[in-house]
Amino acid sequence: MQEAELRGRWWRFLLILIITAVVLVPIAAIFLLSLQPSLGSTTTSQYTFENFTNIFSQTGVLTWLNNSLLVTVVTVIVSVVVAAPAGYVLSRGRNKLVSGFSLVLFIVQSLPVVTAVIPLFILFAQLGLVDTLLGMMIIYVGATMSVAIWMMAAYYDSIPIALEEAAWIDGASVAGGFVRVVLRNSLPGILSTAVFAFLLSWNDYLVALVFLRSSENYVFPVGLETFFQQNATAWGPVAACAVIMMLPPIIMFAVLNKYFSVGGIGGSLAGR
Amino acid sequence: MSTTSIADRMGRAKRGVGVSGTGRQGGRRRNKSLRAKTWTYIIFTAPALILLLLINLYPVIYAAFQSLRNGTLIDGGDFVGFTNYVNTLVAGNMTPAFWQAALFTLIFTLVGVFGSWAVGLVLALLLRTRIPARGLFKVLLLLPWIVPVVVSAFSWNWLVATPQSPFPMLAQALGLGNVLFLADPTLAKVTVCVFKVWISFPFMMMMMSSALAAVDNNVYEAAKVDGAGSWQVFREITLPLISRSTYISWILMTIFCVNDFPTIFLLTGGGPVGSTTSLVVLAYRTVFQDFQVGPGVAIAFMTTVVLIVVSVVLYRQIRKASIE
Repeated sequence: MQEAELRGRWWRFLLILIITAVVLVPIAAIFLLSLQPSLGSTTTSQYTFENFTNIFSQTGVLTWLNNSLLVTVVTVIVSVVVAAPAGYVLSRGRNKLVSGFSLVLFIVQSLPVVTAVIPLFILFAQLGLVDTLLGMMIIYVGATMSVAIWMMAAYYDSIPIALEEAAWIDGASVAGGFVRVVLRNSLPGILSTAVFAFLLSWNDYLVALVFLRSSENYVFPVGLETFFQQNATAWGPVAACAVIMMLPPIIMFAVLNKYFSVGGIGGSLAGR
Repeated sequence: MSTTSIADRMGRAKRGVGVSGTGRQGGRRRNKSLRAKTWTYIIFTAPALILLLLINLYPVIYAAFQSLRNGTLIDGGDFVGFTNYVNTLVAGNMTPAFWQAALFTLIFTLVGVFGSWAVGLVLALLLRTRIPARGLFKVLLLLPWIVPVVVSAFSWNWLVATPQSPFPMLAQALGLGNVLFLADPTLAKVTVCVFKVWISFPFMMMMMSSALAAVDNNVYEAAKVDGAGSWQVFREITLPLISRSTYISWILMTIFCVNDFPTIFLLTGGGPVGSTTSLVVLAYRTVFQDFQVGPGVAIAFMTTVVLIVVSVVLYRQIRKASIE
């Protein structure tokens, strides 16, 4: 009996090992590709870090990295700051208006970005925000809003309301109770929302494609894609850029993955 | 473990609430001064509401008007009534492209939703059992979802695009002849759909994992004692218990798929001969490559309306079901 169970465990292990290996082929390919010597290289070894040293001098990779980091960090901070109190209302509020707010969030979440991008382009052109990083940040914060509010609300739902009530009895205001009691206990929820906002703004392609024009404003996705289009056969250097681009989200996720959960969204959606 | 705990957990599973949340809390609460509360709530939601109105709702309303005009990106243009809609829907130069894109969007969405759900669920079930290095697999399997789509599209391009790429070479070696993954319309469709499943299954895996985590193990033990086979347990116990989460994940994934621009655009650009052009890709090309803002916005707007109607109907279904 026990032996059968042990054998079953190893079979499952083998199965998941194979699936994981197949799934990771495209990602492993980028790493291997980035280490290949490019045409005209003088090195004789099979693997080299040449591509990495070359791209820093030959491409705008540092500019892209800078711009992307700036846009992403600002987006994450503003998203959390705006979504945290709004999520609180969604979690604790209990009337027709709050239900309406919840429905608005759901509709907003389902709007195609393409539809939003066209009128926003026209609007931002008048405001001088096309081809600026500020314009990108505004759009990204707006784009994260509905899911960020849900994620915060889902986390607040797990904090007993008795905690705030105790603070209220001690004379705290609603806002005071929120900041000192609820927010203080919500670090996992905040980090989860931050991870989501980070991924959205770091990985976005469409908004950057539409709004950015000049190369000094390129964020990573547009920079990488442009570089790829211009050097379709230079796989090595492009792969080196790709490795640099995927490292920040991978590192962040490796550190924070235990806080990140999309499961809460389900509860947040169904419960209201 | 007490019976209340099992009942509670099953209830949570049914409501589609994962381990991370408890859903809405029941019970009445003592009243903080209602007026103070109302004002605080208004101030708390104001910034978010302003952003939502400006970045999300304003563009849709603007798009509705713009779709009735023949403007450009700089000029508002003249009012032309429903010409743009007639041109796309019924009889005009856009009509064949529109319906082709609508059909592909449907295929892409169906494969994307059910493909990624099936893969995600199988992996969630596997990862739920006791196997070595489980935590590591969980993280590694999330990578396709975390890696920027620009990066993964580049990688997939390298793997399949040219005859010298690894996969066509492999096909050649297996005697399948010259397989053109992105040059043949049917194969390009298949490749884009597989790419989408590859990107999306981790999201489903996370949704399903947290749904499964809320199901109490005792339920399975009881079923085993009663002599149920594993397939029977899966069909008659597991699936019904995670049905709410399943519906929610389907709805979310439907929205993600219909709205997905970069996955398609970066891998194939919508080609060959428009075979992988979805509605959002068509809208983008019509506006930003052909500079026909009116028809492009009309396509985007119709997609939006269909999605809103579908999601509101489904959303009400979930709410109704979760109240019962």
